[in-house]
This record gives sequence, C-alpha cells and structure tokens, in this order.
Amino acid sequence: MTASGTALSLSGLTKRFGGLVAVDDVTIDLESRKLNAIIGPNGAGKTTLFNLITGEIAADSGRVTFQGRDIVNRKPHEIVRSGISRTLQIKSVFGGLTVGDNVRAAVLAHERIMTPFRPVSSYRAVAARSNDLIEEVGLSDHRGALASSLSYGDVALLEMALALAAQPKLLLLDEPVCGMGPQETERTVAMITGISRHTDVILIEHDMEVVFDIADFIMVMAQGGILATGTAAEIASDAKVQEAYLGSPEDD
Amino acid sequence: MTVSHARVLGLTVLVLALIAVPYALPALGANFWVNIIAEILIWSLLAASVNLLLGYLGLLSFGQSLYFGFGMYGVALSINAWDVGFWSALAIGMAAASVMALIAGVLAVRLTWHYFAIITVVFSLIFYFAAMSMKWLTGGDDGVSFTPPPVMNLGGYKLLLTDPTAQYYVILGIVAGCFALMALIVNSPLGLSFKAIRENDRRAALIGINVYRTRLIAFVLAGALAGVSGALFAFFGRYASASYMFYHVSGEAVVWAIVGGASSLLGPLFGAGALIIFRELVSNAWEHYLIAVGVITILVVMFAPRGIAGSWNDLLHKAFMRRSQGADPNKPAAVIEEPR
Repeated sequence: MTASGTALSLSGLTKRFGGLVAVDDVTIDLESRKLNAIIGPNGAGKTTLFNLITGEIAADSGRVTFQGRDIVNRKPHEIVRSGISRTLQIKSVFGGLTVGDNVRAAVLAHERIMTPFRPVSSYRAVAARSNDLIEEVGLSDHRGALASSLSYGDVALLEMALALAAQPKLLLLDEPVCGMGPQETERTVAMITGISRHTDVILIEHDMEVVFDIADFIMVMAQGGILATGTAAEIASDAKVQEAYLGSPEDD
Repeated sequence: MTVSHARVLGLTVLVLALIAVPYALPALGANFWVNIIAEILIWSLLAASVNLLLGYLGLLSFGQSLYFGFGMYGVALSINAWDVGFWSALAIGMAAASVMALIAGVLAVRLTWHYFAIITVVFSLIFYFAAMSMKWLTGGDDGVSFTPPPVMNLGGYKLLLTDPTAQYYVILGIVAGCFALMALIVNSPLGLSFKAIRENDRRAALIGINVYRTRLIAFVLAGALAGVSGALFAFFGRYASASYMFYHVSGEAVVWAIVGGASSLLGPLFGAGALIIFRELVSNAWEHYLIAVGVITILVVMFAPRGIAGSWNDLLHKAFMRRSQGADPNKPAAVIEEPR
C-alpha cells in the first residue's frame, strides 16, 4: 500500500449484543499518515469497534479492510501478525513477569520464535531489540522489575512497548492517558505524536484537551453509529456533537 | 554468595543426596526407604505434569491420572504382546499418553478455569470406567502383570530392575532427565510464551501468540510427563492397573504440586517427597492420616501459597538481597537479576 493511502477501511461493520446494536453499520476510510481519533460518550461503541477490528469479538456483518485485505473475523493473533497492534483501556501487561521478559515475550512472538530447548537469553538479536524497545518507552531503569510492581503510568508505557514489539503498521490506542496525572499525560502524548510520525495511529480518548490538541482527524460515535467526522475545529463547532456529547465548549 | 549461587549449591546437595540414597540409607539400616525414595521420584513426575499446566499456564488439570494410566498400560501391554525392550516400552508408554493427551487436549484447552478442570476430570473418568470394564485387555482392577526386560544388555552383562540399586539409578536417571528437559523448556521461548499466557491470555493473543496452539503443546507435554511417570511406575511394580486411572490419583498429584510449589520447577518433587514420607511415617499408626494431609494443604494454600519451593526461594532472596545490595527488604522478590 502507498504511504498516503488508507490506514484502515471499515464498511458496513455491525455488531449486535441481543437487542442492542453496539456498532451500527459503520462505514469509514481512515487516512494514513494522520493521527485519527475516535470520541463519543460512554456506550457509543468505540471499544467494541476496536474489538471488532482486532478480532476479539466476531462481527455480525461488514468488512474491515487493512492493506488491501479483508481481515474481519480473523483470529486476534493473526491480525496482530498482519500489522495491527493495540493497547487496552485497562492497561494489560504480563504482571508476574519482569519488564524485560514482558518485552522479550512480545519480540519472540513477533519473530515467531517458539523453540523449546534453547534459552531465551541466548537470542542476542531478541535481547537487543527488547532493550531498544524498553529504552524507547523510557523504562530502562525498570528492566528487572516485575510488571505488577510498576506505577500506573509505567504500566501504560510497558504496554506501549508490547504493542510496538510487533512492528505494527497500525496502532490502536484505547484511552491511552486515562487515569494519568498531568506529567504522565504529557509524557504519553509526546510518545504518541512521536509514534504517529512513522506509524498509523487510531486512538480512543475521553480527554478532549488531548484529542483536540493532537488529532488530525476526529470521528465522533454515538449509539453505535458515526455522528460526525472532521478536524478538531469542525468537530468543536458541530452543533450535533455539542448536543450529543460535549455539552458547552467551556466545559473541561 | 548470591541467590543464584545458593540455588546451585542447594541443587548440588539435592543431587548428591539422591545419588547417595542406595548406599546411605541401607548403611543406616533403612533399606525399605530406598524404594520409597524411588517411588517419590516417580510420582514427582506426575506432580510435575500438573505443575507444568498449573504453574506455567494457569490451567488446573484434575485428569493427569489418565495419561499416567496410558503410560502404565503402554509399557505392560507392549511388553506382553510384542516382547519389546525396556526403552521401546518406555517410549510406547510415553507416546500412548501423548496421543491421548492430544485427543483430549484438542477439546480441553478451548476452556479455562473450572471448565477446563471439569473436562479433564470427565475425560479421565470415561477412560477409567472403560478400562475397568475392558478386563480382557486391562485386567481391570487386578491389572496386568509382566516381566520387565533388561534395561541394558552389554555383551554378557544385563542391567536388570530386579537389582534394587540398579532400579533406583535407572529411575533417578530418567526422572532427572525429565526435570532437566523441563528446565530447558520453561526457560526457552516456548516456556516464556507459556508464562505469558498464564499471566494474561488476552494480551498474549494481542502480541501474536497462538494461545490455543500453545496451550495444546503444553497439554501434550504434560501428558508425556505423566506418561513417563506411569511407565516408570509400571516397571517399578511390574504391573499396570486401571485403578491408577481413578481421579483421586490426579487429585493427589494436584496436592503434591500445590504443597511443593506450583510454578517452581522442583516444587512437585518436594511436595511429593514431603507428603509421601509423611504418609509412610503416619499411615500405619493412624488410618485417618489423610485428614492431616488436608489440613497441611489448607495451611500451605493460606500461609505459603507458593509452596515449599516458593517459600524457600523467598527465604533465599530475603537472606541475600538485603545483605548484598541493601535492597528494599519489603519487596525482596520484586527485583530479579538482569540480564539473564
């Protein structure tokens, strides 16, 4: 695919939970080389949309086209291997393993190394790449610490390293600064904008300040469907969006 | 001295002690205990198979006796039917257990938690009752006896299991080999993917691990371990019996693994050792000694959830970390030496 093409294309994507239509006929092309953001009130279907893209739940109908191929309803590990990584709203790492082992596990999985008799430590290239990733997210001082002993912000950084280990072409971030203090938020936002220079990023975020600050393109979801799309300025002045979601612009 | 030095020292002492058993114990007038230690070694492999699943993948199997039974019958039936040698019979027992684990695993590892535990019990019960009723093949409760072939036949010299010392060393060698292989596996990329799945199967899938296939590989490996255990037990008792396929054998292995320390490699050996020695010392005097085993298990789960081996590791960390680098004594186990 060309660098300036489509990062991800959704067409008629639908998911029902009983009577509730969580994602309702979503059709959109998200452009490559732009920082795309999805916003919307709670229950709008944002995370469900991510779960459909990454294969964690099965879609009822519709297509997800990534790099020219329909990947809808493929298995999560296959979708990761095709180049889509994600982080979760509730930060998800391997708590009982060290930071080093967390990242090594992700690098090994990406390299599809599953040999049974050679020690992990003997893979020099894997160790080097793991160390680079740990350095990239700024966790070098915590290499030997158990992931469960990290602060919340550091867990989020570690999760980012796990997602980046797969060398994704598209990175889905689910509320990356949720629950973070101002300093952690600043650090994470800087990292996201840095990553978005070489990798396509789609993020779900509730922090409007962050979204309006860094997103090139915003898609607003409500009740499973797309309410509006456009730049930060367009979304901020959209009457429908204000009514459904933002309340008065002076808020926050 | 560091933690890893202390570990190497502990392991060396353990190995030397196990090598000394056939000479040291008779010298102390305790011949009978040589066979008890041999039995502990055999059962520790069954506990290790529980531990591979529980400690490294977070899957609690209550059905490992099924693969133990297949290991036993693989040995007994192949020797009686085809007159195969020792190592072929051992391989057949292990292969039979592995194939059975593959068949059960294809269904079982789709599930986790209590659903997984239930399906493993159900599988083992089905085959237990089948084996009990197929008396023409299995001998049911009475079992099938056989004459073990020589372990080795070098020129005119035959290494026979009838010599208790030779038998002990054959068992020790095979059990040690299995633990060494398991040590390699849990420190390999495959082993790291096991632990990743144990810690967080959703994230494991999201870094690109095929969780289902990896769990199936582990289930078959655990089946093979249980198979070797059963095969050795068949050689040890010179017979195979369907009664060893009953789920209370599986349950005992779970207790050994938990008391010894799940997720530590040698935990099952310590668990099986402690509780079998306890049984030998107490069961003659008190027929309801299992009540005490139950109390011990509950106490371990409540106060030392990482078992004997886990508590020992914590103790080493406390003893050496504080002294060597003045690390925060409140969380001694949180920092693990890097790079490894």
